[in-house]
Amino acid sequence: MSLSKIWLILRSEFWRRVRSKAFVLATLLVPFGAILVLAAPALFGYLAEQTDDRTVAVMDETGRLADSLVAASGERLTFRPVDLSTDSVRSAVRRGQYDGYLRLPASLLDGTGEATYYSMEGGGLSLRSDLDSRVNRVLRRHRLETAGASADVLSIVDSDVALATRKLSEGSGTTDDSTLAYTAIGYVMALVIYFAVFFYGQYVMQGVIEEKSSRVVEVIVSSVRPFELLMGKVLGIGAMGLAQMVTWAALAAGGMAVVGPVLALFFAPSDLGASPGASPDAMREAAGISVPTIPLDLVVWFILFFVGGFLLYASLFAAVGSAVEQQQDAQNLLLPVMTPLILPILFLVFIIESPNATVSVVTSIIPFFSPILMVLRMAITTVPLWEIVTAFVLLVGTFVGMIWVAGRIYRVGILSYGKTPSLREIARWATYR
Amino acid sequence: MAHLEVSNVTKRYGDTVAVDDVSFDAEPGRILGLLGPNGAGKTSTIRMITYIAVPDAGAVHYDGRTVGPWSQQRMGYLPEKSGLYKRLGVKEQLVYLGTLKGLSQARAADRADYWLDRFDATDWADMTTEELSKGMQQKIQFIATLLHDPSLLIFDEPFSGLDPINADLLRDIILELRRDDRTILFASHRMEQVEQLCDDICLMAEGNVVLQGPLHDVKAQFGKNTLVLEFDGDDAFVDELVAAGQVRVNTRSAHRAELTLADGTSARQVLDRALDCTDELYRYERVAPPLNEIFVEVVGEAEARRMREAAAAGAA
Repeated sequence: MSLSKIWLILRSEFWRRVRSKAFVLATLLVPFGAILVLAAPALFGYLAEQTDDRTVAVMDETGRLADSLVAASGERLTFRPVDLSTDSVRSAVRRGQYDGYLRLPASLLDGTGEATYYSMEGGGLSLRSDLDSRVNRVLRRHRLETAGASADVLSIVDSDVALATRKLSEGSGTTDDSTLAYTAIGYVMALVIYFAVFFYGQYVMQGVIEEKSSRVVEVIVSSVRPFELLMGKVLGIGAMGLAQMVTWAALAAGGMAVVGPVLALFFAPSDLGASPGASPDAMREAAGISVPTIPLDLVVWFILFFVGGFLLYASLFAAVGSAVEQQQDAQNLLLPVMTPLILPILFLVFIIESPNATVSVVTSIIPFFSPILMVLRMAITTVPLWEIVTAFVLLVGTFVGMIWVAGRIYRVGILSYGKTPSLREIARWATYR
Repeated sequence: MAHLEVSNVTKRYGDTVAVDDVSFDAEPGRILGLLGPNGAGKTSTIRMITYIAVPDAGAVHYDGRTVGPWSQQRMGYLPEKSGLYKRLGVKEQLVYLGTLKGLSQARAADRADYWLDRFDATDWADMTTEELSKGMQQKIQFIATLLHDPSLLIFDEPFSGLDPINADLLRDIILELRRDDRTILFASHRMEQVEQLCDDICLMAEGNVVLQGPLHDVKAQFGKNTLVLEFDGDDAFVDELVAAGQVRVNTRSAHRAELTLADGTSARQVLDRALDCTDELYRYERVAPPLNEIFVEVVGEAEARRMREAAAAGAA
């Protein structure tokens, strides 16, 4: 095997693709798409909050609660006591003067009646729970006062307790538990590996089919060994994929650095709920755009598992590509390649919920699944080193074996024209001399 | 310059024997024509010579050594129906293919310039292959075959898709390569091209070599059993001769017939009949059989017809 030949092929495959318009466009457009997808909910949420300020008329039949409720008006809910007949309140709501009205019957005071909210559109879940908690709080306080509770008792009732979660680390002490954030990171990493292996694998297959159907391949294999061509192609496209992902990572990092200052241009800190005079970074955090620091070892393992998974699947995609002359003919043959690639996606939710269950541990060690599942588990839980190393060693062993088998299939496939072979025939190619 | 030796090679694909114990030699400074219909084992044999495939038995030697990656660097191969990378520029493509044959980037670029100039193709250097006509693509592939100055050249149907002018240019260059003492293998269905170009022939059928040797010797071996007649008037005498089992018709038109004498028929008998029956006889010549007829005799009519059909399909 000649490394210099593999290098020549790798370089040509890499440059040919990287400078193509399609590649440049995809590399630039995908981040835009991602920003839109990520920013849209935040933007809509922000807009919704802006328009969600509601004014609620209060028909206080108890005669005691209105003032406290008005005092409890918050950012999104304003209470206005009214002294009108039911009919005129209703018409006021219909005219749009109020978003709705709240009827507090006198029986509330002895804890029997129920408060009722009337509105045109019914209100959403968040409004309901908001109203519910405010009315309850005001009413409870009032009844305690009436019952003669002391100021101490009242302050106890008023106080809220925050719940913080901490994670025990292996050694001593504790760390902040950002389970949610790390679940998100793990999920994103798993999906990135899945999509990257899927798309770049397809690229490899397409490249093999093009070479075969344009019949340039016979000239190439009269100059280099088929295995050298296979490796040069797989590595060249892998390098292209890494270059694309590094570009995206750089764009993301650059984006994080500018998003604070950009927000500062358009919003006042108080709009985002940050304290006045907050730094751009603090504003970014307040706007909910933040990335928890990803541990370096996770990044390293992510890259290693991506490369391993790519080499494993890309060689299989290449073997399938070598057997056909057109993309359409590949569909049936792709089944055994796609199945192990898609299966781990079905395990994602289970593993996120129980990352340390036996099923989770076992599936994350299986070579065809580990690139996706082990990375996910590493992000959301503390995985013993031996499990990671076992998974990786098995992955390396499997891809070396698969590349060898794929190389033997490829060697026969690229020179076989005519009827699309069955999986059985393809398996037999591996045994040819 | 070195010679090529194919010794007792056999190649099987699954249960099919593609090449069965085939041996032949190719000498420097000569052109060896490899003939045979589709499925005769030509391509499989060529793939073993080019080290794209390895024989199940037997060996291929070039310059005294078993072929391998080393011999690929000294050999140029133009496969039948081969193609190029569609979206790659002509020159970039040539340089890439040249470097795969072991040339340096700079040397490959120089050689590409020289050959593009020779083929009046300098203007195409920056065009992509998909912008070129079929004939232009065939020229570029021909250049790719020669770029690294190989001492062993293998052309499989090199003239397909070329107009007569470019076919002549190609033939001149192939003959020039022969004068440089290179070893040349020329595979074709087309007997007339083989007769024009080759010094030696090797005829294959169903995985076996059925006939080989210098073209002249092969023809002499079959004697002068062929008659060419050109005449005016009634040609019914030909039908009578055929009916009597005295001759076989190779080709025939209104005023011309090429006949093969059956064993025991003297050429004189045919001449007598022709003189009796035609109004005028312009030509009566006794010649060596054309390659096509030799092939018919060796492998049978059915096989020969298949080959003619394949040749016609290739030419279309």
